[in-house]
Amino acid sequence: MTAATDTDDTADYVRSAARFLDLPLTEAQAQRVAGHLTRTKAMVSLLRNAPLADDLEPAEVYCPAPFPDADPEANAP
Amino acid sequence: MRSGLSIARAVRVGELRAADALEHCINRIAATDRRVNAFTDLTLERARREADAIDAQRARGAPLPPLAGLPYAVKNLFDIEGLTTRAGSKVRLGEPAATADAVLVQRLRDAGAVLLGALNMDEFAYGFTTENSHVGPCRNPHDLTRVAGGSSGGSAAAVAAGQVPLTLGSDTNGSIRVPASLCGVFGMKPTFGRLTRRGSFPFVASIDHLGPFASTVEDLAASYDVMQGADALDPGCHATRVQPVLAHTERGADGLRGLRIGMLGGYFDEHAGPVARAAVRMAATALGATPDVVWPDAALARAAAFVTTASEGGALHLARLRTRAAEFEPLSVDRFIAGALQPAEWYVRAQRFRRLYREHVQALFTEWDVLLAPATPVQATPIGAEQFELNGVMVPARPSLGLLSQPISFAGCPVVTVPLWPMGLHALPIGVQVIAAPWREDLALRVARTLEAVGVARAPTAVL
Repeated sequence: MTAATDTDDTADYVRSAARFLDLPLTEAQAQRVAGHLTRTKAMVSLLRNAPLADDLEPAEVYCPAPFPDADPEANAP
Repeated sequence: MRSGLSIARAVRVGELRAADALEHCINRIAATDRRVNAFTDLTLERARREADAIDAQRARGAPLPPLAGLPYAVKNLFDIEGLTTRAGSKVRLGEPAATADAVLVQRLRDAGAVLLGALNMDEFAYGFTTENSHVGPCRNPHDLTRVAGGSSGGSAAAVAAGQVPLTLGSDTNGSIRVPASLCGVFGMKPTFGRLTRRGSFPFVASIDHLGPFASTVEDLAASYDVMQGADALDPGCHATRVQPVLAHTERGADGLRGLRIGMLGGYFDEHAGPVARAAVRMAATALGATPDVVWPDAALARAAAFVTTASEGGALHLARLRTRAAEFEPLSVDRFIAGALQPAEWYVRAQRFRRLYREHVQALFTEWDVLLAPATPVQATPIGAEQFELNGVMVPARPSLGLLSQPISFAGCPVVTVPLWPMGLHALPIGVQVIAAPWREDLALRVARTLEAVGVARAPTAVL
C-alpha cells in the first residue's frame, strides 16, 4: 500500500468514525485528524511487533474494594 | 525569594508574620506577572484570611502546623472552593464553582499553607509548552521569549520567578518534569497512586499524577509529607499510609551511602541533545553513577503512553468535542479528536504491554536504587516554535519535549527533577530526572538533596 493510499484510507476512516460517533468534522479538520492518527498508527506498529502472550491481561488500575484483612471464615459464628 | 520552610520557621519563631510573607509574594506577582503570565486567578481575600489566622494562632501561643504561613499556588485544574475549575479551557467557563477544595489543597491548608491563586497550563493538560491560546502563553522567567514548558508551565514559572516558594502541578507524561526542567526549579512526580487526585480535573486517569514544585528539595519533601495519606474515594490512590521523607533528605554526607546509582544510556542518550547529555553527566559524575544502564522497552513505553493518553483524553472530552470543538485550544483539539477515534485494539494492546513493562522496570530496580536521565531533550524552545533540532534531525517541538519523561511515568516510578545549568547561570537551565523504584520517593529525594548540597543542582530566582 502506498503512503498516499494509506493517508486516504485514514481520512476515510476518520470521516466514517466521526459520523458514527456523531462528531461533526469539516474536511480540513478531518485531514488534520487523519494526520495525527497516521503518526499514532506508526507508533502502534512498534507495539504490534512486541510479543504479548494471549493470557497477558491489561495492567489493572481500578480496584473495586480493598482486599479484606481477614478471611470470611474467621468471623463465622 | 526565601524558601518555603524558611518562611514557616521564621513565622514559627516570630521573626516574620505570615501576612508579611504573603504581601511580599503579592508584590512580586504584581511586579512580574504581566510579563510571565503564570497566574490565571488570584485568591487574595482568602490568602489574607489564611495568613491572618496563622498570625492570630501564634499570637495566642497555640502550636503552629508545619507549613504555617507558607504561600503557594496551584495549577488551575485543582478545585479551589468558590472558583470554577477551568483546567486551562474556556470550554469550562460557566461551569459551577467548586464547592470544596481539592484534597491536596485541603491538606496544605490544614498544614498552615496560604493559597494565593491558580496557575496557567495547557488546555486540559494536553501539551508540553503552556502556549495557552485562551489566556496567553506562560513565559519562561529566565528568557521571556521562550516557553515555560507544560502542561504545568505556570506552576514552574511562578517558582522560578520568585512569586511563590511552592506550587502544585500534575504530570501525566512529563507535565511536572518538563516545566521544572525548562524553568530551572525542583519538581517531584511521586509514584503513581501515592497522592490522591480527588478534586482535580482529570486528563488520563490511568497515568495522572499530582506533585509539587519548589526552589529547594527540602520544600518538596515537606509539602509532599503533608499531602500524603490514604483516600478510599480516589480509586487510583493506592497508598494506605503516610511514609514521611523529610528526615531522609537531611542525611548529609551519609545521603548516598549504600545506594547503587546508574545513568541511563540507550534511548535516553539517543534522544538527548548535547546540553541535556552534559547535564546528566554532571550529575552522574557528582554521584559516582555507573553509565550506560539500559531502561527496558523505552520506545515501546513511549508509544504505549502516547496511545493511552490519546484514547483516554479523547474519550473524556468526546461529548464536549461534539458540540464545542471550535472553542477548544487550537493546538490540541485535533489530537483530542484523533484520540477519540482510535481503535480499541490500540488502547487494549497498550494496556496489556503496560503490565509486561511494569515487570521489566521492577526487575531493573533489583539491580539499581536510583537512575538518572535527562528530563527534556533540549532547553526551553522559543514560544511558537514548531520544530527543534535534535542531534541533526528536526523534530516536532511540542510532543518531542516529552520524549524522555513519558517512558518513566508510564511505569509509575517516582521522579525528582533537579535543575542544572551546564552552560552557566547566565544561560538556560535543563533538568535531570532522579528516578527510583515505585514507592521509594525517599531515595530520589536523598539523591536530589545531595546534588543540591554539593551545588550541582540549584534553583535561583530569575532576574526580572
